Amino acid sequence: MERVEQDGEIINARDLGVVACTRCLQVWPQEVQTCARCGRRLVQRDVKSLQRVWAWWIVGLMCYIPANLYPMLRTRTLFYVQEDTIVGGAIELIHYGNVGIALIILLASVAIPMGKFMAIAFLAFSVTRPSAISQNQRQMLYEVVEYIGRWSMSDIFVVAILSSLVQLKILVAINPGLASLFFALSVIFTMLSAQAFDSRMIWDAQQQGKGQK
Amino acid sequence: MNDAPAPVPIDPARESYLGRASIVWLIPLIALIIALAVAWQSYNDRGPLIFVEFENGAGIAAGQTELRFRDVSVGLVENVTFAEGLDGVIAQIRLEKDIAEFVDAGASFWVVQPELSVQGVSGLDTVLSGIFIEGSWDSQVGPIRTRFKGLESAPLFRPGKDGLQLALRTTPGGSLTDNAPILFRGIEVGRVGPARISREGSFAIAEAIIYEPHGRLITRATRFWDTSGFSVSLGPAGAEVDFSSIASLVGGGLTFDTFVSGGRRVTDGTVFEVYPDQISARNSVFNASETELLELRVIFDENISGLAIGAPVEWSGLRIGSVESLSGIVDEEAFGDNRVRLDVVIGIQPARLGLQEEVNPESALEFMRVRVSEGLRARLATGSLLTGGLKVELVEVEDAEPATILVSPDEIATLPATDSEISDATATVEGVFTRINSLPIEELLNSAIGFMQSAEAFVSSEELRETPQEVRALLGDVRGIVTSEDVQNIPASLNAALSRIEASLAQIDEGQAVERVVAAIDAATEAAGSVNASVAGVPELIDNLSSVAAKAEAMPLEELTEQLTELLGSADAILGTPAAQDLPASLGAALDELNATLAELREGGAVRNVNATLSSAREAADAVALSSKDLPALVERITDVFDQASRTIEGYNRGDVLSRDAQAALRDISEAADAITSLVRLLERNPSALIRGR
Repeated sequence: MERVEQDGEIINARDLGVVACTRCLQVWPQEVQTCARCGRRLVQRDVKSLQRVWAWWIVGLMCYIPANLYPMLRTRTLFYVQEDTIVGGAIELIHYGNVGIALIILLASVAIPMGKFMAIAFLAFSVTRPSAISQNQRQMLYEVVEYIGRWSMSDIFVVAILSSLVQLKILVAINPGLASLFFALSVIFTMLSAQAFDSRMIWDAQQQGKGQK
Repeated sequence: MNDAPAPVPIDPARESYLGRASIVWLIPLIALIIALAVAWQSYNDRGPLIFVEFENGAGIAAGQTELRFRDVSVGLVENVTFAEGLDGVIAQIRLEKDIAEFVDAGASFWVVQPELSVQGVSGLDTVLSGIFIEGSWDSQVGPIRTRFKGLESAPLFRPGKDGLQLALRTTPGGSLTDNAPILFRGIEVGRVGPARISREGSFAIAEAIIYEPHGRLITRATRFWDTSGFSVSLGPAGAEVDFSSIASLVGGGLTFDTFVSGGRRVTDGTVFEVYPDQISARNSVFNASETELLELRVIFDENISGLAIGAPVEWSGLRIGSVESLSGIVDEEAFGDNRVRLDVVIGIQPARLGLQEEVNPESALEFMRVRVSEGLRARLATGSLLTGGLKVELVEVEDAEPATILVSPDEIATLPATDSEISDATATVEGVFTRINSLPIEELLNSAIGFMQSAEAFVSSEELRETPQEVRALLGDVRGIVTSEDVQNIPASLNAALSRIEASLAQIDEGQAVERVVAAIDAATEAAGSVNASVAGVPELIDNLSSVAAKAEAMPLEELTEQLTELLGSADAILGTPAAQDLPASLGAALDELNATLAELREGGAVRNVNATLSSAREAADAVALSSKDLPALVERITDVFDQASRTIEGYNRGDVLSRDAQAALRDISEAADAITSLVRLLERNPSALIRGR
């Protein structure tokens, strides 16, 4: 890809009058409406892609707010009930000296989702206006966002395992808090948002930029 | 092919704004609507915030501590702050909306904590769940209030624990266990709340509740008493330790009983007194059943020891009440100096004042008020000379300084006092001892010793020792007479005499003599019966004897002793006279004379005469033999009489007291017998007087 960029000229499918099926990657002439192999409707560019990205992105962000305000875990021991939000729990871990675990939690539950929100927003903006970051880097960013999206669910996974394992009647019980639901929803919506993004538009933007020149 | 249409630049039809929008926008829209709906609903469902002030936080945690009503969560503490001036903690509690309207001015709040007391463990559930705030309010919607003062502990009266609400008051000077159960037959039927001390400090009063349906056990005649602690008693059955239950032994408790039936039911707010034990509670039913006591307070300027709780309160010698409590009082404002004064609360039984109309403390107080204006005053007086105990006496002081009974609300009325009249008991007692001390006991003893010595000298005199020999000689003479022939003939004569008696008895028999004897015995039987009846009079007799004894005791001891000393002295003197010394010699002479008389007898025909007499006696005896066939009946009757007598005597024995008295009487009789014995001894000592008729 580096070499291609150095050439300065990128020829995309539209220029060649073909369209690729997004599901089975079979290339068809532009006139073909549906993929004869897998039956998927063929579109040159998904025009509503950005709308969907923004829609899912907004819902995801809406869910992310309560996910941080409400408690994630509800730990009931013999004598007291402790409810921890994500950040609160991490801070408490730092107080106890478990800086490493706290950092992992902060990374997985705060840094990565926040990064995803910013990355998707950046990508969605970058297709409509010129950006300082090259298309290759943006493509790579998109791939990373899509790849890493599912790993955010590890948080929910930990909560689910803890609350199903630690149920010792009156002694100790761990239950998922309200935040875990919102966090899961937030992850789902951001993944949907990332998926809704038609990465082909990254390259269109440059074409338009060139056309304007 | 020109037919081919010219390429027309096709502008894509401008789709409507909605048409261009993706359907996916609905999702954030729905999310937004849901979020707004939830937000609005939670805001709408939010109840009011109330502020409850507690003395300390006691574990109240914001966001965790619940407010419960009947053990159901109806609110949550949102915040805990300090009250103004840091003198309390305010819990801000968010109430649930549906219950909020009932939380009115009558609501009360307290913190439920795990509590370990002698009555058991309570609030154990809070160990696991953390403490909670319990609220209590009624089902009436009242004026809304948001600021409350939290209670330290659960209130005694609250909805859900219905019962009879009473007030318990100690007897003056008594004690009361507060926060304790009220037991009845060992079952907890109620509770006493925290007690408070009355203003003047003479009693404590506490609220109490008797849970339904036990309220019907309480009537006007019910008496409460304290069962805390235990009692030890020693009796014929051995030692007994008595306490009602371990819990009440440690933590105290009250119980009650209705000793007399027919008391009226009581209403909420009735005041009962708490007695120290069951006996005094029971006694109070009968003692004070008349009416309540009128309590009056007397402050004596002098603080003299000797007055005790329970000391009598007398009015012209009649006991009208007793001292209920005693304390010292220093009140510079009221008396002008800071001397300690004696503060006495006396309880007067209105029934003993002889009031004409209604007999109750109020009328008694009115009566006292009138009397005080006429000069009635209280004073301390000597109650007992020996112990130095004091009593309170109500006296009418002539030209007394005007004074009134001071009555102030919530306090006991104060009766004016006057100067005390205390005689110096100690001095009197000392005088008695001094007199006893100065009795001439030593002289008496000396005289007694002298007397004994003279007696010994007399007994050991030689003449007296010779007397037995002379007696022996005399006996020899007597034996000579007995062995003489004439005397040998006496039995024959006696026989003859008996036969004559027999004859005469036969005559008597004809004259129905036996019936008379029988009648006589009947009379004797009756007499025995009447003796039995008269025994009832014996106690009185003994009383008389006791009084005589008392008089005897009261006789002037001193003079008696002196006289006794004199008497012994003169006895001594008599024994020491030569005449007394010569007494043995006179005795010898007397025996000589007796000897001579017997010799005369022997010479004279006396024996023959005796013989004649005896023969007639024999005849009489024969007659007796004849009549003796009636004897068995006679014997039976005599046996009956004895049986009856024996029963009577048994009766004597049975009445212990009687027999004790009878013993005393017997002792007296025995003393009398002793006197007779001494008389006989005198005669023995001086037999010549009898023989010579001098």
